[in-house]
Amino acid sequence: MSIVPKETIEVIAQSIGIANLSTDVALALAPDVEYRLREIMQEAIKCMRHSKRTVLTADDVDSALSLRNVEPLYGFASGDPLRFKRAVGHKDLFYIDDKDVDLKDVINAPLPKAPLDSGVVAHWLAIEGVQPAIPENAPVEAIVAPSENKRSEHGKEDGLPVDIKLPVKHVLSRELQLYFDKITELIVSRSDSILFKEALESLATDSGLHPLVPYFSYFIADEVTRSLNDLPLLFALMRVVRSLLRNPHIHIEPYLHQLMPSMITCIVAKRLGHRIADNHWELRDFAANLVASVCRRFGHVYHNLQYRLTRTLLNAFLDPSKAMTQHYGAIQGLAALGPSVVRVLILPQLETYMQLLEPEMQLEKQKNEMKRKEAWHVYGALLCAAGKCLYERVKLFPSLLHPPTRQFWRSNGRVATKMPNKRKASSSHLLQQPALKKLASDGTAGSIPPISMTTSMQAAADGFPTPSESGIRPSSSTGQLSNESISGGSRKEKSGGKAPTPSTVLAQAWKEDLDAGHLMASLFELFGEGIFSFIQPVEMSFFL
Amino acid sequence: MEEEELQKAVYAYLRKKGFRQTELALQEEQNRLSSSAQSDLAVSRLDNDPARYHDAYSKLRSWAYSSLDLYKHELLRVLYPVYIHCFMDLVAEGHMQEARTFFHTFREDHELTHLRDLQKLEGILSPSHLEEMELARSLRQNKVKIKLCEYSYDLLLQYLQKTQSFTMLGIINEHINFEVSAGQPSSISDDADVVALVGSSQDIAKHINQKEVRWGLLEDSVEERLERALSDSEKAEGENKEVDPEDSKQKRSVEGAKQGVSVKKLKKDKLVGATGKNIRSETSTVSMAPRVKPELTLPVMTTEVEQSILEDLRNRVQLSSLALPSISFYTFINTHNSLNCSSISHDGSLVAGGFSDSSLKVWDMAKIGRPTKTFTEQQPSANLQGESESVQNEHLLGPEERKRSYTLFQGHAGPVYSATFSPFGDFLLSSSSDSTIRLWSTKLNSNLVCYKGHNYPVWDVQFSPVGHYFASCSHDRTARIWSMDRIQPLRIMAGHLSDVDCVQWHANCNYIATGSSDKTVRLWDVQSGECVRVFIGHRSMVLSLAMSLDGRYMASGDEDGTIMMWDLSSGRCVSPLMGHSSCIWTLAFSCEGTLLASGSADCTVKLWDVTASMKVPRMEENKASSTNRLRLLKALPTKSTPVYTLRFSRRNLLFAAGALSKQV
Repeated sequence: MSIVPKETIEVIAQSIGIANLSTDVALALAPDVEYRLREIMQEAIKCMRHSKRTVLTADDVDSALSLRNVEPLYGFASGDPLRFKRAVGHKDLFYIDDKDVDLKDVINAPLPKAPLDSGVVAHWLAIEGVQPAIPENAPVEAIVAPSENKRSEHGKEDGLPVDIKLPVKHVLSRELQLYFDKITELIVSRSDSILFKEALESLATDSGLHPLVPYFSYFIADEVTRSLNDLPLLFALMRVVRSLLRNPHIHIEPYLHQLMPSMITCIVAKRLGHRIADNHWELRDFAANLVASVCRRFGHVYHNLQYRLTRTLLNAFLDPSKAMTQHYGAIQGLAALGPSVVRVLILPQLETYMQLLEPEMQLEKQKNEMKRKEAWHVYGALLCAAGKCLYERVKLFPSLLHPPTRQFWRSNGRVATKMPNKRKASSSHLLQQPALKKLASDGTAGSIPPISMTTSMQAAADGFPTPSESGIRPSSSTGQLSNESISGGSRKEKSGGKAPTPSTVLAQAWKEDLDAGHLMASLFELFGEGIFSFIQPVEMSFFL
Repeated sequence: MEEEELQKAVYAYLRKKGFRQTELALQEEQNRLSSSAQSDLAVSRLDNDPARYHDAYSKLRSWAYSSLDLYKHELLRVLYPVYIHCFMDLVAEGHMQEARTFFHTFREDHELTHLRDLQKLEGILSPSHLEEMELARSLRQNKVKIKLCEYSYDLLLQYLQKTQSFTMLGIINEHINFEVSAGQPSSISDDADVVALVGSSQDIAKHINQKEVRWGLLEDSVEERLERALSDSEKAEGENKEVDPEDSKQKRSVEGAKQGVSVKKLKKDKLVGATGKNIRSETSTVSMAPRVKPELTLPVMTTEVEQSILEDLRNRVQLSSLALPSISFYTFINTHNSLNCSSISHDGSLVAGGFSDSSLKVWDMAKIGRPTKTFTEQQPSANLQGESESVQNEHLLGPEERKRSYTLFQGHAGPVYSATFSPFGDFLLSSSSDSTIRLWSTKLNSNLVCYKGHNYPVWDVQFSPVGHYFASCSHDRTARIWSMDRIQPLRIMAGHLSDVDCVQWHANCNYIATGSSDKTVRLWDVQSGECVRVFIGHRSMVLSLAMSLDGRYMASGDEDGTIMMWDLSSGRCVSPLMGHSSCIWTLAFSCEGTLLASGSADCTVKLWDVTASMKVPRMEENKASSTNRLRLLKALPTKSTPVYTLRFSRRNLLFAAGALSKQV
């Protein structure tokens, strides 16, 4: 019934050496003990209130005890509130996790830093009733028109004389307006000046800019749609977006919906800039990285953000009627989202896409110099994306590839160094490819001891998922995993002699258990040894 | 036949004369007689059976809940006192188990309005506790008064008679006084009495509240003189003479010449100022307040001080619901949870903090103000060596370790719970849990006097508005008045039923107000030491008090975040107002009394429009209290800094202070 049962009293009695406490005494003591406890707590709460706190500390209990002329309890004093843990299996039983401390450790530990001395700092909480947006004040929540706030309050009180204010037309101070005008002028006219760099820095660090964010986002969206021809302007706008995203004092979330379309436009627009010489590729790369950073930062809040983005990009990528520039943007955008996205979305389509791309790249089939150049850019982007993806795989399972790649490396080292940038000669290169591929597959299949070793190792790795492995495998549960690994292993053993066709390998690229060697081989088939440059670092580490 | 008629006549007579108690007693007697006709055995068994409380109460409860809607809320009011007395009866008879079961069965009904009382009563586990606990004792000793309309009263009587529940009847007779009023039942909102069922006898409270309180301002105050100077220049010289009290005439004429220039300036400001209309109305309310003579001999003000006050008054910003104040916030950093209180001098130049390590520290903000800027420049370097995660503010004073930025006052032997600056900033008082009050000089940086008188921790100490006198309050349930030159208290105010937690002076220095853990606020006459008002209405411990400068209103804030606004002359609550979600640590009125600022543990400063709430009840008294609320003008959140102290300077700049606390 009561909080302190008689058993508690008996236990306490035993602990202080009274073995035979009669039940009656315990029964009589229990309620009194509870009453005294409550009394102490009541006094302790008073002490807490007078120390202007809302959390009860051991000090308060000590003060309460001394109020009642009781010896305080020693050994519980601590500056911080105690951390209670819930006892497992009980709803309202808590305890303090009191760890054993080794005295030797305490003695040997270096002296702790002396606590900082207390001090006072002053700031303006409000100036004529308006809270200035400075770091010392609580961050302003998303801007709510002040009139709305008032209205809701007025609604609650009835029958009171209410002074109705007209809705506030703008809440921008004159200084902020000037600032906005200055920045927009810089963006539009002098984006190459040093001053603009300063402005970007200011946008990225200033704490009082929150009221301007809606204006900026509107301005950016407006300018992007209006001046797709003006590459420097677009670049400047994207830089402004980056600065705004960087600013820790700005709550940018509510304006993302306005900024995202502008950024995506800068990735996949058909034409950016009006001159041929304009380096719109760079802008696309920049915007792609920007979008990827937004996804990383706000992806957990808007879970469909990345989904919608990838869908848009994938549509651009898969539509053959779209221009090469758009394809390029889409590939870069997807690649920026990380190798796993590339593995899932790009690699399965890679072979078919390459078939489309190849004619565009060849001198004899595509006469238009411009178009061909674009195609080569796309090729470069694809190579880069696939290569990074492969690099990631290799990095995860470094041991798997070593024997085969070393062989590759040795046999092809000469060729690779010989052709740094001569992609134009790719027609002849393509002829070489089967031979090389054969060599590669021979390399894997021919050296039987290493391949058997790799497969067994692979199986072992799959059977006993290591932390790193389970970390990168969020989608598949472990139960599935073992099945998959067994089937994968058997499949691999079956196809140990002949290499699987590139298309199937690529289609299955998202599967973790796919042998990186096969992926490598298929990519090699598509890209030539350009792909090797992505494995090089691992090789280096191996040699080291 | 005859006897019945006689009985009826007697009843009619009693009812006509309003002898309710007699009537009830008579009925009870009759019932007893009639029931004694039944078997005595049954009755005696019934009397001792602890279950009868449970049965009778649950019957009464279900009856009350199923009664007519119009009268239900009145009848429900009866339940709570019956409930707690049933419980205490059971305890007194020694049926502990039954008492517990009973308590927990019906606890939910009353939790909403009486949670804190219930939490206390829950601890009663034996008859001796009833004697010991102050709340239980006062509940047992005093009768509760409940207002009922005539018909509900009849209903109740009928029910009790019909069901012959003597237990209930006994409890009701013993512990409840009914105040039966003719006509319609009172509105639901008007249940202040029910809320205030705290044991302090309400009759006494009512009696006390009938005493006269002269809440007017002091005669011949500086404000008044300034105002008069203002009106002087407007009026012709001749009229002036009768207004002036004779004794201050010479002084005034000297001053008049000095003020001439500034008065004109002030008038010009008025014309220019957008809130010109407001000024006029405000100044008029101040001058409307009646004047009273001081009961204490007041210290003499030096002319320099007076000049500086006049200067401040001239430069005062007029505040209203349209013109909100500027707030300067002093944040205590690196306090390691040990800051207990803070105080700001009237001009904001000095800030004191009382710590739980029994030290008192005073910062001179005028000196700190400049170096902080250079510190912000150094900050990156501080960041490099220190931990990069921590809040920026912490580094401001970091490099300054060698030289302390404050003056350390040591002398107390326990946590310092309160500190207060004298009106002109040259003295500082601090109170501590070592039951002493110490007087410090901010000029000499040393302790001057140690006042010993209280027997327990002194929770609060406050200088009077004129200086020299101060009031303190303590865990020993008393408040005391002191003067700086005596080491013994001048007055001891006793009467609160629990700790006295806060104290505040009235603007005219003739009264002090005290807030207590017994959930009441009392107003005491300083001269006689008598209690002249009891304000009942808070539901938890009163933590802060503020008096308006025109002397008519008082605000009090409690542990739950409720602020109550009281009219001193009537002793009634003008309006309760909710808005804060946690303890109100501090309250402050603006100088002309138009705004109330409140600081709370929920890390906000809120500004309330006081004029809105005060004017309505004055115009239509009958509709008052329930509908009007203080209007919340603005809530200003701080960065996880509970607000400990608020203070309006004489120029109406609001200073606030609090300790930065990191959320765990």
